[in-house]
Amino acid sequence: MILDYIGLAFNNLRRRRLRSWLTLIGIIIGIAAVISLIGLGEGLRVAITSQFGLLGNDVLSVRASGIDFAGPPGTNTPNPLSDTLYKKLENINGIEAAFNRDLETVLMKFNDKEKTVIIASSPEGKNRKLFEKMLNLKTVEGRLLKDNDKKKVLIGYNFGNKDNFGRSISSGSKVEINGITFEVVGRLEKKGSFIIDNNVITNEKDILESLDKDDGTANIIAVKVKDVDKINIVKKNIEKILRKERNVKKGEENFIVQSPVNAIESLNSTLFAIQLFITIIATISLLVGGIGIMNTMYTSVLERTKEIGIMKALGAKNSEIFKIFFIESGFLGLVGGSLGLIIGLILAFGFAFIGRTFLGSQLIQAQVTLTVIIGSMLFSFILGIIFGVLPAIQASKLIPVDSLRKAK
Amino acid sequence: MSEELKYAIGNLKKRKLRTFLSVISITIGITSIFAIVSFGLGLQSYVNEIAAEAGVDKLFIQSKGIGAPGTDLTFSLSKEDINFIDKIKGVNQITGVYAQAGEIEHNKQKRFVFIMGIDTKQLDFIDESFTATVEKGRHLKKGDIDKVALGYNYQLNDKIFKKKINIGDKVNINSNKFEVIGFYEELGNPQDDSNIYLTRESFEEIYPDIEDKFGFLMIRADKNVKTADLSEKITEKFRKHKDQKKGEETFFVQTFEDALKTFGDVLNVLNGVLFLIALISLIVATVNIMNTMFTAVMERTTEIGIMKSIGAKNSTILKIFMFESGIIGLIGGVTGITIGFIIASIGGNAAAASGFSLLKPIFPFSLIFGCLLFALITGIIAGYLPSRKASNLKPVDALRYE
Repeated sequence: MILDYIGLAFNNLRRRRLRSWLTLIGIIIGIAAVISLIGLGEGLRVAITSQFGLLGNDVLSVRASGIDFAGPPGTNTPNPLSDTLYKKLENINGIEAAFNRDLETVLMKFNDKEKTVIIASSPEGKNRKLFEKMLNLKTVEGRLLKDNDKKKVLIGYNFGNKDNFGRSISSGSKVEINGITFEVVGRLEKKGSFIIDNNVITNEKDILESLDKDDGTANIIAVKVKDVDKINIVKKNIEKILRKERNVKKGEENFIVQSPVNAIESLNSTLFAIQLFITIIATISLLVGGIGIMNTMYTSVLERTKEIGIMKALGAKNSEIFKIFFIESGFLGLVGGSLGLIIGLILAFGFAFIGRTFLGSQLIQAQVTLTVIIGSMLFSFILGIIFGVLPAIQASKLIPVDSLRKAK
Repeated sequence: MSEELKYAIGNLKKRKLRTFLSVISITIGITSIFAIVSFGLGLQSYVNEIAAEAGVDKLFIQSKGIGAPGTDLTFSLSKEDINFIDKIKGVNQITGVYAQAGEIEHNKQKRFVFIMGIDTKQLDFIDESFTATVEKGRHLKKGDIDKVALGYNYQLNDKIFKKKINIGDKVNINSNKFEVIGFYEELGNPQDDSNIYLTRESFEEIYPDIEDKFGFLMIRADKNVKTADLSEKITEKFRKHKDQKKGEETFFVQTFEDALKTFGDVLNVLNGVLFLIALISLIVATVNIMNTMFTAVMERTTEIGIMKSIGAKNSTILKIFMFESGIIGLIGGVTGITIGFIIASIGGNAAAASGFSLLKPIFPFSLIFGCLLFALITGIIAGYLPSRKASNLKPVDALRYE
């Protein structure tokens, strides 16, 4: 029975091919735009958030409050953390380890070229292995840092590129950092993160002594918890101790204890808002496409007034006439949606491919989830149905005698 | 009014519903384009306004670093540097500004904001460069210690603090008590409107480590000296003075013009992207009108045949149908501009209420006229193919058509 309706709808659409195509084009353009924009936006979001997701979910970072967007975390703050604070945190129940991390902006010189880079500290002693495991540090060449290394650095993957200093830096190279000569012991594997891939890592002692940053403060304290499930309890305990140490009341904290998940969430919501705005503007074109369907369906009701009269005279019920037109418009939506989906996917992945090949940007990638695919198909079907309802009702309510008389 | 036009309007009236739906499609398209472009133009005029107020005779020097201007003090600029640059020919005036993140406390609430330390001897120059001055209360003056001038947003409830701050109130800045003496005028974005301003002397008192480490220097060029030329000259002389090689400077010089241009370029790109996305809906609307017109041609095949057989020229038929689609476009344009105007105004007010008064739409005549023309052209383009089909029908075939 339902197949008959679909067959009828299909034949009717084929009969007025030009108009069906023009109606479809509207929906196709709309869905293609929405799919490709969501796909690229989602890809960008995944690319950005994955930069932060490298630390694992069993790590907390502690830093003093400040203005967050003004530089590397923990560097723009009126009252920084003391560099001995981590020792107090180590003793909290449920914490496996806590150590300081220092981040400094430095001038690095190589091949007679100078650039500003961020140098980050690696903990020494028993925490080194843990740190390396946390970031999953491995080298493509050379070795990782060791405890008695002095004036040695580990460089991020991207320093192997010629573009950075005109020549690639490799293990064994000598670089000058703030005028002091350091030896490169190894280059890290590609992490796909512009933070780590462009980082220089050195022993904590080197930052403090060789680069003379021993000012009694720490930028970040990294905390690894023993049991992921108890991370929230540990977080509360850390906050309690820090309140006491820094002499502030509850609700007036001048520090932040954050898990990577928290950090991603706030960034995510901003990116999501931008994506939503763009999607809404793109959706407007779908609305216009829907109005196109409505227009086409009204026209076809008008054209087929006589046909409807005959069908009704032969005993077709109102509901049956309604179904014929309803299915027709739903069909328009669905076909338009499917074709739009295919074109949208081609556009999204095409752009991503072009972006990667010609711009070399890791941030341009397409990410189309099954939810988006199913959602857009459903949406276009519903769009067809919604904009088909009024014309279908009009068709079903025609009075047989009138419609037979009215038609030429 | 020509016969063709009258006939076209009559036809549109006859199929009211369909005309209405086509008009809606184009209305939606024009609405979104009008609203987006009005915001884009508003931002552009904001940038131009700043440029006009601050003048094109300014440059600033900043040390290289990461993060907000002047907060990374790995390489800093000192009083000695200022004295050196002041002597370069073409430099009319120079001042150093301290900038650091700090904590301000009011009614037990704490916020982290940018603190600027400015030279009271050069207030006029500084105000001109910031394009803002103290609007309420009084400005900082020489010898002001423990006195602070706050950004615009501090005098509002629920903006930075729950309770607004009044002149004469005491606030804690990095745990030092300060008296509020004045408020700056509105700059239009939440970040700049939350800045706080101290005298250099107060700043050095609460940040003893930062004494003589300026975040950035602002320079006014002599009259008749091009800022771009001066920028190059300063870069070269200052580099030699600091004994640095070309391309390895720890500082950079930027003209105010360049900085604004960069900002303007970014805005234009963003706006262009939004415009393109909004354009998609207009393309769909074009297809809709085309569809309506093709249907109209088909329905009126017999009519066209009769007109032709009694002597109507191809061009007359073409005109009739082009008029029809052009009118659809024009009406869509007028309604689209009206609705777009309402939406943009509401959006602008909402943005201003949340602190982004720089997001203010403007509606110049060129925008209104442009959108109208755009809608008309859209209608005409959409109508061209159907109209040509109608005008090329052979009278005999058209009359035979059932």
